[in-house]
Amino acid sequence: MSARHDQGAVPGRVSPRHDQDAVGERLTVLIGDDEPMIRDVLSEVLQAEPDLSVVAVAGDAEEAIVLAVRHAPRVAILDVRMPGGGGAHAARVIRDRCPGTRVMAFSAYGDAGAVEEMRRAGVTEYLLKGLPNTDIVAAVRRVAASC
Amino acid sequence: MSDESPAEITPADYKLLVQSVVDYAIFMLDPQGHIASWNAGAERIKGYRAEEIIGRHFSVFYSPEDVAAGKPARELEVAAAEGRLEDEGWRVRADGTRFWANVIITALRDETGRLRGFGKVTRDMTERRTAERALKESEERFRLIVQNVVDYAIFMLDPQGHIASWNAGAERIKGYRAEEIIGRHFSVFYSPEDVAAGKPARELEVAAAEGRLEDEGWRVRADGTRFWANVIITALRDETGRLRGFGKVTRDMTERRTAERALDERSRLLTHLVHAQEMERRRIAWDVHDDTIQSMVAVGMRLQLLADRLEGQDATAARHLNETVSAAIRRLRDLTFRLRPPGLDRGGLVEGLTSYLDQVVTGAGLTYELWHELDREPPSETAITIFRICQEALTNVRKHAQAKAVRVSLSSSGHGVLVRVADDGVGVGDPVDILAMSDHFGLIEMRERAEMAGGWWSIRGRPAEGTTVEFWVPALASGGEGDRG
Repeated sequence: MSARHDQGAVPGRVSPRHDQDAVGERLTVLIGDDEPMIRDVLSEVLQAEPDLSVVAVAGDAEEAIVLAVRHAPRVAILDVRMPGGGGAHAARVIRDRCPGTRVMAFSAYGDAGAVEEMRRAGVTEYLLKGLPNTDIVAAVRRVAASC
Repeated sequence: MSDESPAEITPADYKLLVQSVVDYAIFMLDPQGHIASWNAGAERIKGYRAEEIIGRHFSVFYSPEDVAAGKPARELEVAAAEGRLEDEGWRVRADGTRFWANVIITALRDETGRLRGFGKVTRDMTERRTAERALKESEERFRLIVQNVVDYAIFMLDPQGHIASWNAGAERIKGYRAEEIIGRHFSVFYSPEDVAAGKPARELEVAAAEGRLEDEGWRVRADGTRFWANVIITALRDETGRLRGFGKVTRDMTERRTAERALDERSRLLTHLVHAQEMERRRIAWDVHDDTIQSMVAVGMRLQLLADRLEGQDATAARHLNETVSAAIRRLRDLTFRLRPPGLDRGGLVEGLTSYLDQVVTGAGLTYELWHELDREPPSETAITIFRICQEALTNVRKHAQAKAVRVSLSSSGHGVLVRVADDGVGVGDPVDILAMSDHFGLIEMRERAEMAGGWWSIRGRPAEGTTVEFWVPALASGGEGDRG
């Protein structure tokens, strides 16, 4: 694990505090998934919740990293298999550069190897695609609350 | 006196000597053929005591047929005329049994030439005759075997390599009759290239030097066609060590070689096919995962959003629709799992099996135990073979065994992996009967997969004792596509 905790001192970074202020008390969420249909509907599901706000939507791992650094969301929901290095790579970098961001996996694959790979990359919660929307929303709140 | 050497040999000594000999019947006949003396050997061989036989005519020793043919009288005539007669033939003992006798009859004449009688020495040759006949018969049988063997060409060469004998197999395999080939040099069986390279002579040299030579290669038949031969040349030496010639045994291996090559080719094609099939399965599994399932997930999520906005029956209908979509997603997940468990590619054999057991076996309400002791992860081709056989065996357990628990064990064994899948269910019947049915429970497929990989496969289990599928596949890190470099 890298130990760069001097966030704010690095140029180009947005203060996490500032971003959260902009949307009031709502939990900010980033979505990273290469499947547009999933991105759209997940965004819609989360936006429908009064306490959640989707601040960024990315189509691959690199974009997810860039947007996470820019917006410093409280929660990043990442697909496991996606271009630009995959969910594990994105999770690792985001955990490293945005210590305030909690990462959650949202995957079509539920095998032990995939789960373990994401856990090692710093993922707090592993969610299988196909669960009810209410479970997804609950998981996002749970992850946001975790330290 | 008795333990001293006699100073002079007396006629009494001679009498004692003759009477004591037990290996020869030695006795005298008068000129008419009546028995005049008897010894211990005669008693032993012919079975008469002296007092029984002295005075009787010697024709009692002959068979009734010989007597009827006048043989005893004729023998005396010949002995009288020529001084001596030797004969071999069956004679009759006192108890009526017969023995094979060597008989020498000597005419005994006094100094005036008058015939005093005959000396007769008979030896029982039955045992020796039996042994000789046995030896002769065994030699004859051996000759007949060699002569008639058709699967092997067995023949002799003289020390220079000229053919000295020939058998039926040689005629069949090489196409020459004995009278055509005997006396010719054995290099006619070799191709012109081999002859030019001096191969025939070299093979004899090696066989002479080392006692034996084995070779495989193309040889030429009488009609010029070629066959793939296994050849063994053995140097034949007499007891003094002198080279008497060579024994040559040749077998036509053409068919076997062709069959083996066809098998190699078949195995190569099958391996290729399995590889292609695995690739295709993986591609389909990924496509279903990354496209179909994702779309259906999105549809399901949207249906839930819709249901939240609708009311009454419409909301219920949307929720039902979502449940249908969710069920379809679960079935598709199982399908992709069976097609290609993602763990197999990511984490190897044990992880692939674990995820399969978790998903499919536990899902069917069975408990499982996975025990493994592998030196190293087997090459991917081997891992796939093991996984697929386990998958088939576990499908049987799930569908047919009525088992509560299943135990899968993997262990490294003799450059390969030994695998056992054992359940506590109802047990199979006689595996031979089951295998006889057309691909019953995928048993033949399992066995073929194992054998194609160069291993073996077996199934056992009696009713009420559960079933065990056991197999071994070699795990040599060689040759597999993608394993190189």
